[in-house]
Amino acid sequence: MERIALVLSLIISFAGAYSVQAETTLVKIDKSGTLVIGTRTGSPPFAYVNKNNEWVGFSIDLVEKAILPVLNKKLNKQIKLEKKESAPATRIPLLTSNAVDLIAETMTDTQSRRDSVDFSITFFATGAQFLVKKGSPIKGIQTIAGKRVAAQQGSTNARIIRERAPSAKLLEFPDQPAAFQALTQGQVQAYTNDGIQLAGLKAKAPKPEEWAVVGEFFSYEPYGMALRKGDSDFRQIVNVGLMDAIESGKYFEIYDKWFGAKGEVPYPLASETKRFLQMQVVPK
Amino acid sequence: MSYTFNWSVLWTGQAGGWLLDGLITTIEISFLAWWLAVVLGIGSGAMRTAPMAPLRWAAAAYVEFFRNVPLLVWMFFWYFAVPPLLPDTVREWLFDHGAEFWAALCALGVYHGARFSEVIRAGIQAIPKTQFEAAVSTGLTVTQAYRLIILPIALRLIIPPATNESLNLLKNSSVALTIGVAELTFQTRQIETYTAKAFEALAAGTVIYLLLCLTIATLMARVERRFAIPGMIAQGAVGEN
Repeated sequence: MERIALVLSLIISFAGAYSVQAETTLVKIDKSGTLVIGTRTGSPPFAYVNKNNEWVGFSIDLVEKAILPVLNKKLNKQIKLEKKESAPATRIPLLTSNAVDLIAETMTDTQSRRDSVDFSITFFATGAQFLVKKGSPIKGIQTIAGKRVAAQQGSTNARIIRERAPSAKLLEFPDQPAAFQALTQGQVQAYTNDGIQLAGLKAKAPKPEEWAVVGEFFSYEPYGMALRKGDSDFRQIVNVGLMDAIESGKYFEIYDKWFGAKGEVPYPLASETKRFLQMQVVPK
Repeated sequence: MSYTFNWSVLWTGQAGGWLLDGLITTIEISFLAWWLAVVLGIGSGAMRTAPMAPLRWAAAAYVEFFRNVPLLVWMFFWYFAVPPLLPDTVREWLFDHGAEFWAALCALGVYHGARFSEVIRAGIQAIPKTQFEAAVSTGLTVTQAYRLIILPIALRLIIPPATNESLNLLKNSSVALTIGVAELTFQTRQIETYTAKAFEALAAGTVIYLLLCLTIATLMARVERRFAIPGMIAQGAVGEN
């Protein structure tokens, strides 16, 4: 019992270290001259490593071209961008432990996550679908009963499948490549993720024509950038950066670069999504 | 900018049930993989000291191949590379019956078998050569000498390092989450997904692993005391009787 008590007190004191009021993110960035973002390496076209071994993507571009200029202006100096790998299971700890300042990848804004972190305005909206082999009997969430379905661990989709289709055999993988590998080899018959990510995966597959993205959206996934809770000065900069980009049209240029007809993953912007993005922009 | 702890996420909602499910899976997979590892380890450990060269080579090849490749790679190997070699019907059946569990079981068991093998070999080599010679000179065959004399002594000598290996095996079972096995670490991540409370979930997982390992260590210490060889120096270190 003594040993257990010792360990528990160690954990609690370790935990206590995090509740100390730390400097604000803006002061931290000003001191270090660097903005550290947590992003992904395998989620094309939001954040991934491309053929030339460059770490790029739509979310990263938004930080570089929309948020960084506002940050530079505010702090009156050139801020460097540093990228770190984050995954669904690690991104909140990375943020709360100060290892990164901003999560810019494919993170869905949810109410329960808002208990732990704050979110920027929504910068992309999508919904969950299924990736299957062409000609598969799976056509959507109504047809997955008893089927083997892969999901990404820590994603909102896995949670919905568990609630709405409990008879499906859900298999969760820590990252997208492992889940796709399982789909390719037949360990699972479908892979569920946000529609846009599945389109990205399909476009990057060796033989895109063998795959199909099926089903109506069975969830609503608004992507936001996550930041530490209660840091409104920094959140203001992130939001102003995104709003300015939407207002000036820069956002849509970046969108076109990644999702346009010649982009990595052709995915035309629905007019209602565009309208929704524009309505988030509050007057100056 | 501070993190607010909310320990109640661990006992409200489904978290408790998930942790229990994860704990059961962790114990199941570790227990089965432990038996596989012990059987492979004793077999190949004995072979490595056998007076027949081909046996020694075969065992050495097994040990060096399996212990020198990371466990994570073995997980992917058993899950992704082995099924395509099986006939279609067997493969479909496996996929429908938790292929990831069996793949992780093989990966853990075979990997730790190679490590157990070295522990057993060390135990056998600690026994004076004369003991083997005496056994053979009484008319026992080599196999009988190993089965009746050498292995029973070696197994009693190696309890401390074997405990070490067993605890490693238990903790390494968490690597199985990479191929989708819903063990304990997987479930702590699950709690994080639902509640966004990563530190609390991780702390719960840590305490459970710790308690599990302490239990095993205590049991093994009892086994060690019970089976200590009278007259060996180690007996004193372990305590009275």
